[in-house]
Amino acid sequence: MSRATRPFVVLGFSSTHDALDAETLLGDLGLDVIPMPAPKAVGSLCGIALRIEPSDEVRAVRYLDGAGIVLAARADIEDI
Amino acid sequence: MTTAHTTHGAAALPTVYLDHGATSWPKPVEVVSAVHDALTLYGGNPGRGAYRLAMATTRLIHESRRDIASFLGVPDARDLLFQPGCTEALNLVLRGLLSPGDRVVACSMEHNAVSRPLHALAALGVEVVIIDADDTGTVDADEVEQAVAAAATRAIVCQQASNLTGAIQPVADLADVAHAHGALMLVDGAQAGGHLDIDLATLGADAWACSGHKGLLGPQGVGVLYLAPACNPEPLVLGGTGGGTSESADPPSVRPDRYEAGTPNTPGIAGLGAAARYLSVHAAEHRVDERQLTRRFHEGVIEIGGFRVLGPEPDRARVPVLSVVHESIDADRLAFSLDRRFGVAARAGLHCAPWAHRTVGTLETGALRFGIGYGNTAADIDFALGALRTLAEEAL
Repeated sequence: MSRATRPFVVLGFSSTHDALDAETLLGDLGLDVIPMPAPKAVGSLCGIALRIEPSDEVRAVRYLDGAGIVLAARADIEDI
Repeated sequence: MTTAHTTHGAAALPTVYLDHGATSWPKPVEVVSAVHDALTLYGGNPGRGAYRLAMATTRLIHESRRDIASFLGVPDARDLLFQPGCTEALNLVLRGLLSPGDRVVACSMEHNAVSRPLHALAALGVEVVIIDADDTGTVDADEVEQAVAAAATRAIVCQQASNLTGAIQPVADLADVAHAHGALMLVDGAQAGGHLDIDLATLGADAWACSGHKGLLGPQGVGVLYLAPACNPEPLVLGGTGGGTSESADPPSVRPDRYEAGTPNTPGIAGLGAAARYLSVHAAEHRVDERQLTRRFHEGVIEIGGFRVLGPEPDRARVPVLSVVHESIDADRLAFSLDRRFGVAARAGLHCAPWAHRTVGTLETGALRFGIGYGNTAADIDFALGALRTLAEEAL
């Protein structure tokens, strides 16, 4: 029996420092942000990626861009 | 006065610690607690793994970097790099920037952390031009400019303050000189961090290195290096950085990862972060105390007589180190007697700075250096002065 999954968006960064900055900023924004090991789908990037709700993606990307944090990659995943 | 210590064959004495130029001691309790917590609560390897324990440690490093950068006026914390110490940081800057055929202008007061890398680089074909400081140990910006203007120069390297005479160098003026001639300004801030108000956003340094364990009040084994955004030395140490691009044979291109290969010194960085938070609140009051105590000590030594005090006059600015030479007692004997008979900790010798001792005329004798800092009181100064007076009178 498998557990039900649902879609998430994973954001990848070019450094751990940027990932941590992004985690803080998105948390301050009130988003549900979870650090996770960078999945293969975001390519060879920072070892830490951030998982967010798909509905938050546009807002998150815009906010990070405004804060000077460059998003290196993004990917769609299914997770529980 | 601090904890009693014994040495072989000597009576237990409370230590009057006056060697803050070598390392600060004791440390604020906040620093001790942070190191303890790092060793007991933060077990994961920072930047390696996304599980909660590793993430907690990663955040600890991240917060420390942010708080240290804030204390030093670094606009972007990514430009503030953790290094094993100031010496390693200076090696990275000098050996990572200078190549055979380059020309560098240095001050004659430099510590071996600069002079030895320069000596090695000179053997490889880097032209090293040394500008003599005056007899207080202060370099003249106009003389440096003449040297820089004489030929194409890659960089000026200068300490921010002398570990021998306490002289404060005109680093901001030197940075203007460097930039006016297309050169980089590289600064050894080992004796300045914590003791002087540092704002790296405006100082003009392209690179600024500092020990974590001296005036910044952190633990030994960690230092910091600020690199201006356009200053990009080649990394000297290559290896794992935890982040992405692991499959690449080249180091990362982004900061801080590019210059931080290997597992970082988490307890040291945690302690240094706590120290920065402590200093952000208390540094200004400490600097006032340090200036007053240094002047009290300086004037007291003059009053004893028989001592030459190196560096600026008592009413001039300096960092809180004071080196003395007695007319008849060798510096090493003074240091030995101060420790064994009075419990006063001070350092004799050449202080890893033979260039500086040559500059001020003490290369043959060495000097006895007192470093004043965190935790010192007027009672410490008066006690050390009393001990010095006793030893001087016994030599008559």
